[in-house]
Amino acid sequence: MWQFRPFTWVLLYVFGILIQTALLPQIFPIGYVPNVVLSVTVLIALFETPGRGMAAGFIGGMMQDVWAGRMLGLDALTFALLGWAVGYLQTKIARDPVFVPGLVAGLSQVVVVPFQWILLNVAGYHLPWLTFVKPLPVWILFSMFFTPGLGGVLGFRSRRELDGRRSLSM
Amino acid sequence: MGGFWFRWRRPLITVLAVAVLAVSFSYTAEVRGRVVALSNLVSTVVSPASSSLTYIGRQANVAVSTVGQLFTLQRQNRELKQKLLLYQSMKLELSEVLATNGRLRGLLGLQKRLAGWKLTPASIIGRNPNNWFSTVTIDRGTSSGVRSGMAVIVPQGVVGRVIAASSSSATVMLILDPNSGVGAMDTRSQAAGVLLGQNPITGQLKFQLFSHRPNLSPGDAIVTSGFSQYYPKGLLLGQVTKVAHVQFGLTEVATVQPSVDFNSLQTVMVVLSHPAGTSTPPIYGGGRS
Repeated sequence: MWQFRPFTWVLLYVFGILIQTALLPQIFPIGYVPNVVLSVTVLIALFETPGRGMAAGFIGGMMQDVWAGRMLGLDALTFALLGWAVGYLQTKIARDPVFVPGLVAGLSQVVVVPFQWILLNVAGYHLPWLTFVKPLPVWILFSMFFTPGLGGVLGFRSRRELDGRRSLSM
Repeated sequence: MGGFWFRWRRPLITVLAVAVLAVSFSYTAEVRGRVVALSNLVSTVVSPASSSLTYIGRQANVAVSTVGQLFTLQRQNRELKQKLLLYQSMKLELSEVLATNGRLRGLLGLQKRLAGWKLTPASIIGRNPNNWFSTVTIDRGTSSGVRSGMAVIVPQGVVGRVIAASSSSATVMLILDPNSGVGAMDTRSQAAGVLLGQNPITGQLKFQLFSHRPNLSPGDAIVTSGFSQYYPKGLLLGQVTKVAHVQFGLTEVATVQPSVDFNSLQTVMVVLSHPAGTSTPPIYGGGRS
């Protein structure tokens, strides 16, 4: 199935980063542009094992890092851990196409921003915490709506569901 | 009898129709009041529908022709915007020259120096995917003469500097970036310092001053000092909004509002070259070369 291929992930991430760098800055003010890579990572990891979720997150994060051209590894580490966490979480929770992706993506934003703030501070970027989290509500709302929407468009399914369909058709 | 009419019905109808038409033609060949009135009545009755259809047709025509001209218009619009920016920049430079004529070496010499500035317009085609850093990608690269370290400006002030360039594009670090530091000075008190980028979300800059008592006040214009290797002297950076003492009052730090609106930034000018040792006077506040 195409959704489980790393090549598909790469294509999705390229598409996501293009939206993030070219389209969304036309809508959101500078500093407030939401992270599409996060939504894509959550979507992929929700249908994957923790290990593969981590791999997907790493690929997406590294692509964003390379695209950004600064602090290589910041997003790779963040999204790899996020991919693992979401991949682990999805084995413990019931899955639906709307609420779970939305809630997990919103929650991911809440976790990712402080984590990156710590990493940036460690790296010598002493950014004020209050201004750092100022756009957080915008990002949470965006992720909560965008992630299920993207999932609906892509039509991702779990392996079990797809195997069940295949055995039925056979 | 009935059989005759039925048998010859088609030729008869044809002949009748031809006759009616002949009479009609001969009668209406010239303007007849009643015929015109009838026509007018019909027109009046159907006029709402007629005008509606005409409107729809026109709109459709406009839409189709607009779609056809979209690419041409887009290209023309881009070219015109670049020209407008260039003309605005030229106008600004000229007005600046006139305003500072008395304090500087003379209008003629300054005009000559400003004419020596070589700028190239570029469009912003992408922004940094990471919100913590402020860089943009422009559609001009080394093939257009853009090189790393060149200053990027707009008529409103300094945008940033080129930090990387490929053949067809270049990355510009905005002055908002946390890694950005621009040698700057206050136009009123001539106090010098470094204008540092902060978190791009705030949209504010931090002016770290060198002197102990720099006599800075809100509203002062901040321009490039020329101490930096990247930025020519006298380019407008922003306006002081707040002055604060820090580090036990040993130094002063001012908050500066950039003169450029980075959210609406679409086209910029890359300073390809400028005569060594020259400067543009600041837009307001006055400056010394």
